[in-house]
Amino acid sequence: MRIRTAGVTAAFALTLLASACGGNDDTSTDASAKDSAQAGGTLTIWADDKRTAALKPFAEKFGKENGITVEVQAVSKDLQSNFVTASQSGKAPDIVVGAHDWIGNLVQNGAIDPVQLSSTQKSSLADIALKGVTYNGQIYGVPYAIENLALIRNTDLAPTAPATIEDLVSSGKKLKASGKTSEIMSLQVGENGDAYHIYPLYTSAGGSLFGVKDNGDYDAKDLGVAKTEATAAFEKIAKLGEKGEGALKRSITGDNAIATFTSKKAAYLVSGPWALTDIKAAGIKYEVTPVPGFAGGKAAQPFIGVQAFYVASKGTNKVAAQEFVTNYVTQVDLAKALYTAEPRPPALTKALEEVSATDADAKAFMEAGKNGAILPAIPEMSAIWDPFGKAEAAVIGGADPATAIPAAAKAISDAINK
Amino acid sequence: MKRWFMRVGWRHLVGLGAVAFSLFPIVFVISAALNPLGTLSSTELLPTGATFRNAAQLFEKTEFGHWYLNSIVIAGTASVASMFLSLLAAYAFSRMRFAGRRVGLLALLLIQMFPQFLLIVTIFLIFTDISDFWPSVGFNTWWGLVLLYLGGALGVNTWLMKGFLDTVPKELDESARMDGASHVQVFFRIVLPLVTPILAVVGLLAFIGTINEFLMANVFLKDPQSKTLAVGLYGLVAGERNNNFGLFCVGSLLTAIPTVALFQFLQRYIVSGLTSGAVKG
Amino acid sequence: MSKRDSGAVETRPPRPEAASTHHRRSTSSRKSPRSSVGSTIVADSSTTTLGLIVKILALSMVTAVAIWAAFPLIDAKAWGWLAGEAVIVASVFFVYLRRPLPMKYLLPGTLFLLAFQVAPVIYTVSTAFTNFGDGHRGTKQEAITSIQTGSVKQVEGSTEYTLAVATRDSGELVFLLTDPDGQAFVGDADGLRKLGGATVDGGRVTAASGYTLLKLGQLSARNQEIGDLKVPTDNGAIIASGVTQAFEAKATRHYDPACDCVIDVETGTQWVADAETGSFVDASGERLPQGWKVNVGFDNLVSVATDPHISGPFVRTLIWNLGFALASTLGTFAIGLLCALAMHSDRVRGQKIYRALLILPYAMPSFAMLLVWRDMFNADFGLINRMLSLHVDWFGGPWTARAAAIAVQLWLGFPYMFLVSTGALQAIPKEMTEASQVDGATVWQAFRQVTLPLLLVALSPLLISSFSFNFNNFNAIYLTTEGAPFPADNTSVGATDLLITYTYRLAFGGAGAEYGFAAAVSIYIFTIVAVISAISFRRTRHQEEVYS
Repeated sequence: MRIRTAGVTAAFALTLLASACGGNDDTSTDASAKDSAQAGGTLTIWADDKRTAALKPFAEKFGKENGITVEVQAVSKDLQSNFVTASQSGKAPDIVVGAHDWIGNLVQNGAIDPVQLSSTQKSSLADIALKGVTYNGQIYGVPYAIENLALIRNTDLAPTAPATIEDLVSSGKKLKASGKTSEIMSLQVGENGDAYHIYPLYTSAGGSLFGVKDNGDYDAKDLGVAKTEATAAFEKIAKLGEKGEGALKRSITGDNAIATFTSKKAAYLVSGPWALTDIKAAGIKYEVTPVPGFAGGKAAQPFIGVQAFYVASKGTNKVAAQEFVTNYVTQVDLAKALYTAEPRPPALTKALEEVSATDADAKAFMEAGKNGAILPAIPEMSAIWDPFGKAEAAVIGGADPATAIPAAAKAISDAINK
Repeated sequence: MKRWFMRVGWRHLVGLGAVAFSLFPIVFVISAALNPLGTLSSTELLPTGATFRNAAQLFEKTEFGHWYLNSIVIAGTASVASMFLSLLAAYAFSRMRFAGRRVGLLALLLIQMFPQFLLIVTIFLIFTDISDFWPSVGFNTWWGLVLLYLGGALGVNTWLMKGFLDTVPKELDESARMDGASHVQVFFRIVLPLVTPILAVVGLLAFIGTINEFLMANVFLKDPQSKTLAVGLYGLVAGERNNNFGLFCVGSLLTAIPTVALFQFLQRYIVSGLTSGAVKG
Repeated sequence: MSKRDSGAVETRPPRPEAASTHHRRSTSSRKSPRSSVGSTIVADSSTTTLGLIVKILALSMVTAVAIWAAFPLIDAKAWGWLAGEAVIVASVFFVYLRRPLPMKYLLPGTLFLLAFQVAPVIYTVSTAFTNFGDGHRGTKQEAITSIQTGSVKQVEGSTEYTLAVATRDSGELVFLLTDPDGQAFVGDADGLRKLGGATVDGGRVTAASGYTLLKLGQLSARNQEIGDLKVPTDNGAIIASGVTQAFEAKATRHYDPACDCVIDVETGTQWVADAETGSFVDASGERLPQGWKVNVGFDNLVSVATDPHISGPFVRTLIWNLGFALASTLGTFAIGLLCALAMHSDRVRGQKIYRALLILPYAMPSFAMLLVWRDMFNADFGLINRMLSLHVDWFGGPWTARAAAIAVQLWLGFPYMFLVSTGALQAIPKEMTEASQVDGATVWQAFRQVTLPLLLVALSPLLISSFSFNFNNFNAIYLTTEGAPFPADNTSVGATDLLITYTYRLAFGGAGAEYGFAAAVSIYIFTIVAVISAISFRRTRHQEEVYS
């Protein structure tokens, strides 16, 4: 009897839930209409913690000028998946800030809308940045910063920039032999590899990830890792690994790569603009140059990432969101402030020039990314990272590329075709 | 001497060994907190520099003060409330015999076993509606998060308390019942005072569990000022772990303070509860 | 502080205010809980009235809250929610006014449990029978809307207008547009007309007779209207982008219910709806990215069982997973109990300090300490190798990685067991252990024969739940080894992978999150844990009855 009561309660709680998750569409639109009916309305922006702090003053200024309330909220972890879940349930913010390789996933979930930029606005942005946010022929976000890897060199220890990776290794070995450093170079690998950081060397050795379609988009059907060039490329990388030169090691991870450089244990660091804050704090003299490739190999192509603002499809204040993203983000002042918060080169050509007048790093990073490859934004890219990284770590640890790479390729194609 | 060792000495030996084991990584964290360029790999076990720059920056650059307050309020409320709910249930499970009792107990355990990261989407959907209907207990509010935490009130802690209530002889409440006490009176007057140590332990465990909870709080609290310590600290090292490691270490150490303080406060209850040997049966 | 005198008041646990006042009144006359059992209760036979008052107060509170909560529901016509609320209130009244005694104690916690644990679990399990995941989250209608809005493109070579949004005196919304030559237009649902007598400043209309210009703050209230206002033109329509620009644009893809397909106007390509996979597919098998959620029956469950990536390494992973959970549980229990025993004596000086230091690992945020430990195990830079002058590649070999993972877990978990054992030891009457020692038993014998069995009565349910927790201890692996090391020829499952970390990678490692698939894997794991727990739980029945 008593338990039956509990059972009934449970059953009703469930119907309650089912109705909550089912067709409640009209109630939620009612509520949202009511929200925005309040005077002025609210514009909500989601970003990660660092950018939230930089954005806040500008967002508030925008709100004041336009008579609306602007809220910048920080999502500390899993911003992308939180945003998708929120937009599925109708509690999405109006704007989200994130990397351009999210676009594929955000579009397949119907979470963001394309933005319309005027021809002047388009021409004020770096071509590569616009290319990054273009997906299926549409512009889906307004870029504000570009980032890519470069070689950062301690100029006290190594005065000249190496032309090839072989030069770098021999110079690094000399420094190590003389006791000035303890590592040849610092390029993060970790126990499970790091596809992003090895990519310049991989491309220089002849590898690729995806073919390219006629319209310039990456083609998920044409998998570069499955080709023999990929295995050949990793044979070259293996020579730099733990059983070879010892330049690439699994013990150098995302946690300590920059610290290894700032504590002068290595004269060379392969990293991005985000490393500069620490390097400056450590007071190290440095120069930023392109990542060198293998002697006689192809060009070393770093991935190019673009940071952008997106208009949420299911936001409650789309008009204000569009206004903010298209006309406010494209202003030089905001771009410069975001650069000060974290030194990633601005996507606005004018802001980049102004920043470069006092700071050589931005230009140097742009130069290093000149022949870079846009990080694929297609959803299939997320199937690459994990198996590719693991194969990389195995090869660097001494495994035979002939077994590791085809195994990774199979895992990737299985995941894509599932 | 040998006798001293047999009776007391070994206790110190075990204690010192265990303290060394438990402090070893924490000393490392302390030296990173004091190190001006606090990064993981550059830090030695003993501090190489002593600066409070990290601590100062933590309060200047972040909303650390707010996080601290939020955490204490949320963890405090949620742990007290969930302890009470849990105790009520444990009393029923231990003292009463009803159909489905053991199944219910097992179900409590199994429900907790479901991977939390899969539940996030559903919980988000539920609270989306709740936020629409009752914004005061919806997203970005303390109360909403406390409500959600109460969903986990019946769980491992209920088991823990049930186990302890089982060791309190039933004859005790039976004789009270015979004297005419109602079941509520038996519960509050007889059983509760006898299980104080475990209440203190469970209270502490619930507090620690909530203050460190991260997955749900991250979904719930988005205003920088409304975050809890766990979420705020994670935000410091998310992405590039190197940059803020020093701040992060200071934050982690400060996070431990309320817990240790609470433990110090509760110690006497944990130890003193049954010194008079109430349970003789 | 003298423990004995103040014990009764000090040990007062948290409880509702009414009850505690009542309690304080009655405790003032007694010295210890035990001595007062008989007398207090006889003296307080009038408390039933007080109990009744408390009950009435509490139930009226519930009613008040229920009424408060009902208004927004009625307002939003959320009948499902309202029905749910009614059931909850009814069950509260039923339980507290009628007889089912155990439910009086169980109901409060159970309600929360059902709402925030059971219901989400059941809903999530139900997604195992769908293709729910990235690209298949919403309804078909949502997918169509997204495809259509995603295909809105500027008409090539069309004019770009500067926009000012205004209202007519009637309140109707219009666009005041300026072309690059400075010519002003007014646009509404009927089309575009030239606008005379407008003041154009900086390329934008700043004033026009008969129109009131609106600022952004005023506009956000009419968001939907602005989005819906399309000024028809020959090639498409003029739409606003924000409130300062407008473009001539057209949707290049639209849904045709006749063929149940999406048609691209420019290329003529057709994507036909496939109700089985929840996506639009063209003749060559190419899918549109936006899909919708459909039921797939037992497909997910079957593919988990038949997928060679899963079934192949399953047994090996399961064995390690069981080993990890057992070693973590028993290891932490052994260390925690040893510490608790060592501290269980008034002769130990500095007892309080010892205890405070011992719980420190548990007081630190665990995710932070997992990251710190990971770094301490680094082969070249880690503190452990440096301090012990070792050159062990901890995370490089399967057994060293497993040992490291367990060691970290011991550190994190032993304070918990220490706390619990300390509490449990207090509950064992000293007289019992002392008596056995008087009987000539050694300390060890006394422990084995008296203390341990008593402890296990209280703690064995806890050991089971600790085992189940560690079986699914996602963070312990995800934040340290991430499953490493992986064999070179198999990147899908590593030596330290638990079933749960492995599931996580399977579900979220492909092209977007696959919740349906993950839920299916979880059902299998859940079943395994349930069976193990249920079997060990059955064995505790025996112990429980010792005292019952």
